[in-house]
Amino acid sequence: MSLQNLILNLQTFWAGQGCYLAPSYDVEVGAGTMTPDTFFRVLDKRGWNVAYVQPSRRPTDGRFGENPNRVQKHHQFQVIMKPSPADIQERYIRSLSALGIKLEEHDLRFDEDDWESPTIGAWGVGWQVMLDGLEITQFTYFQQAGGLEVFPIPVEITYGLERLEMFLEEKDDIYDLQWSDDVRYRDLRFEEERQFSEYNFHQATVKSLRESFALAEKEAQHLIGKNLLLPAYDMCLKCSHCFNLLDSRGAISVTERVKLIAQIRALVNQIALKYTGAERTS
Amino acid sequence: MEFLLEIGVEEMPASHVRTAVEDLKDRFEKDLAAAKIPARELRIFSTCRRLIIVADVPDAQDARAEIITGPPKAVAFTADGTPTPAALGFAKSRGVDVTNLEVIKTEKGEYVGLRTTKRGRSAAEILAEMVPRVVGSLSFPKMMRWGEGQFRFSRPVRHIMSLAGGAPLSVEVDGLRSDDMTKGHMIRAPQPFRVSSFKEYKEKLREHLVVIDADERKTMILGQIAARLEPLQAQLYPDPALLDKLVNDVEWPFVILGSFPEAYLRLPLEVLSTAMREGQKLFSVVRGKTQLPYFLAVADVPADARGLIQKGQERVLKARLEDARFFWEQDIKVDLKKRVPALKHILFQEKLGTYDDKAQRLKKIVTYLCGKVGDGVNVQDVVQAAELCKTDLVTDMVREFPALQGRMGGLYARAQGRPAAVAQAIYDHYQPVGLEDDPPASAAGAILSIADKLDSIVGVVGVGIQTTGSSDPFGLRRNAQGVCKVILDRAWSLSLVRLVEKILSVYGDKLKRPKADVVDYCRDFFQSRLKYLFDRQGYRYDLVHAALGAGTDNIYHAFLRVKALDALKASPQFEPFILMAKRVNNILGGHPAAALNADLFVDKEERELFSTFSIVRENVLPMIGRGDFAQAQKMVFRLQPALNSFFDHVLVMANETKLRRNRLALLQAIAKILAQMADYSQVVAD
Repeated sequence: MSLQNLILNLQTFWAGQGCYLAPSYDVEVGAGTMTPDTFFRVLDKRGWNVAYVQPSRRPTDGRFGENPNRVQKHHQFQVIMKPSPADIQERYIRSLSALGIKLEEHDLRFDEDDWESPTIGAWGVGWQVMLDGLEITQFTYFQQAGGLEVFPIPVEITYGLERLEMFLEEKDDIYDLQWSDDVRYRDLRFEEERQFSEYNFHQATVKSLRESFALAEKEAQHLIGKNLLLPAYDMCLKCSHCFNLLDSRGAISVTERVKLIAQIRALVNQIALKYTGAERTS
Repeated sequence: MEFLLEIGVEEMPASHVRTAVEDLKDRFEKDLAAAKIPARELRIFSTCRRLIIVADVPDAQDARAEIITGPPKAVAFTADGTPTPAALGFAKSRGVDVTNLEVIKTEKGEYVGLRTTKRGRSAAEILAEMVPRVVGSLSFPKMMRWGEGQFRFSRPVRHIMSLAGGAPLSVEVDGLRSDDMTKGHMIRAPQPFRVSSFKEYKEKLREHLVVIDADERKTMILGQIAARLEPLQAQLYPDPALLDKLVNDVEWPFVILGSFPEAYLRLPLEVLSTAMREGQKLFSVVRGKTQLPYFLAVADVPADARGLIQKGQERVLKARLEDARFFWEQDIKVDLKKRVPALKHILFQEKLGTYDDKAQRLKKIVTYLCGKVGDGVNVQDVVQAAELCKTDLVTDMVREFPALQGRMGGLYARAQGRPAAVAQAIYDHYQPVGLEDDPPASAAGAILSIADKLDSIVGVVGVGIQTTGSSDPFGLRRNAQGVCKVILDRAWSLSLVRLVEKILSVYGDKLKRPKADVVDYCRDFFQSRLKYLFDRQGYRYDLVHAALGAGTDNIYHAFLRVKALDALKASPQFEPFILMAKRVNNILGGHPAAALNADLFVDKEERELFSTFSIVRENVLPMIGRGDFAQAQKMVFRLQPALNSFFDHVLVMANETKLRRNRLALLQAIAKILAQMADYSQVVAD
């Protein structure tokens, strides 16, 4: 099965569970959790079921296309169901069967792994799902987001698409994967990995990144003041991406790291407070 | 009657299951006893997906006699004993004939009343109330909610099965109603089935690929491991923590032997075993001390018929080892010395500065320590180790596998041709991490280990971070225990206070807390850690308190004092001596220090005591000085006969002030010597 078919299968499966299929978000994020389709929707009291593919950028993971397992941009398949259904674990297991994995021939394990993202003030309880020792999914019951307790409790299921596809195709090199029947991962992504690794590690201008961070932060603050929370949150995502690039340039000391993350988190927390407060009054 | 409860959960962490098993046993035993249906037998079983309680309880509470009080006798009967309407009404309301009523004497006078036996409540009724209360009272290090419920637990509770005397017992936990059904293995046997007894439950679950007894699963795992390794004449690289985790994590264990390309054997054993343990949770395989290119995986399956699981594990491991090989080859190209400047960018603690600051301090502290302990260490080696010991924090390998900190520094130092003593000291300087870990193998490593740990303790205490029962973010307790363990292992005589003062002076004005406060805090802190250590080693607590009461500044001597008391506790002289020492202390209580003048002795007995004491003191002081407390203790036993005669014949509290003061002075001098041995008042004597 190609990566494209893997995505189609997951989409069909989760649409069948009542999930709305969202398009990928168009601002750089480190994980599917960070997009508004997850961040805002887990904060309020309404039910919400969504599934989407999210390209996720982690500049420090770049390896110039030379490592068979690590890339600076990978793809997540993100599912949010709120409130978490009582049979969510069985549904997840069925989604794997729907991919043609004969689970009775494999070892599927839910291995303790609590998740947290200090930048967006979120944490949850759950597992990394291991299939024959390969981590294929992060499975989390959110407890907090934006620094606030969430309720009802959403469940987040994040499949690592490349990992899963390597398992399905029994390939040892990410670049050997088939995106579709006649397009290989290498054709699509190798040059991108090479060029972006060069950018992330060597060419990104530290001074401009710091300025961009400061500008986005200022803009976020301005927009929060105007109660324009969705664009304000986009600005936070831009801060986060600038931060990640600065990190891959080795330009962030430990003290600064803590400080910058705290700055972003403070903005995100204001947005979360306003968002939930506004909901209460309406 | 058999009570059986299964709490079906999504995969709980091993540590949570452990606390739940203990709490459930404890709570049910107490609550059943309190409800007057005490369990004759109560057992708890568990896997990561279910907590199981099975108990043998009485069908119901015992019946108990009860008296129902009615109207006063004077109102109920006329003078000639005829029942009045009040008595008749009371009898009627209770459904008995008036002749059944009796006269009951109470504090308020005589009343009519009725004796009845009240039937006990049934166990089923009591359990239906008890189960939700007990389940809801469990607490875990980290709790969560799920769905729309307010219930908090370790992981979502999805199912409750409950039986009393073979019949379904309906209980409700957080809106979840129980039934008499359970399920087998999550993947292989997910169809629910009905059970009516524990025996049937256990057997049917086994048919459905679940072994509920953790000890049995452990035996299965160890048996299969032995079978896989037997043909290879190889052994498991022991990892008890991993074994315990895996025993919890699988319902039906199946051990798989896999291999990796021999080329990776060039990597150090530490790297290989860490790469295997973390992430994939694999055991390493060794023959003697040699790593073999094999691993053992524990799967939650009945078999790996097509070898797909083995192949999958091998593929993942190969990728991880390839990463590790890459890190090793990259890291080794950069001399540790060249990494020193990078430590300026890594924060140790906000107020205490970077790891570069720490390394600078360590260089001074180890120099001081080398002067104190001697032990043939080369100061330059230890100083070099101190300078380099934290540099592995900026290597790719330690970034990937933080558990390898220290170990990697030592391995890189060796591979880069540094002196063996330097490499070994770096390699060992975090040791011992836990109480079971070995202390550093070399004296240089021991010095660096003590310096590193005490630097952290003094610094963290000095900026005012509190360590409380539940909060010890910098692991100060573990660090202090580590320091004690290293000192005891090396049998080093050191003054803790002077070492702390030295570290305070190295910190200079960085620490806000007054220096005297820090010293006091450290002294108390180490005393409490030593108590903990000696208690754990099985020494009698009162002897530990007595020995530590004589001082803990010299940690090794404190230990020797405990050992001396322990060795002599059974001797016939011990108890009488303790009582005598207490008597000396009691008499002295509150009297000001007095000067001893041998010319003022009047009685024979006091002269004799003084002369015995003088001999004992002359002998005992050097023994105390070199820490030979067993000999010293035996020596002070010799005071006993003279002290006995003294107390029998001499009046200490003589009327004449001069005599009294002189006699007190003699006892004070004796007490002063005794106080260097132990605080005998802490010893429990009959």
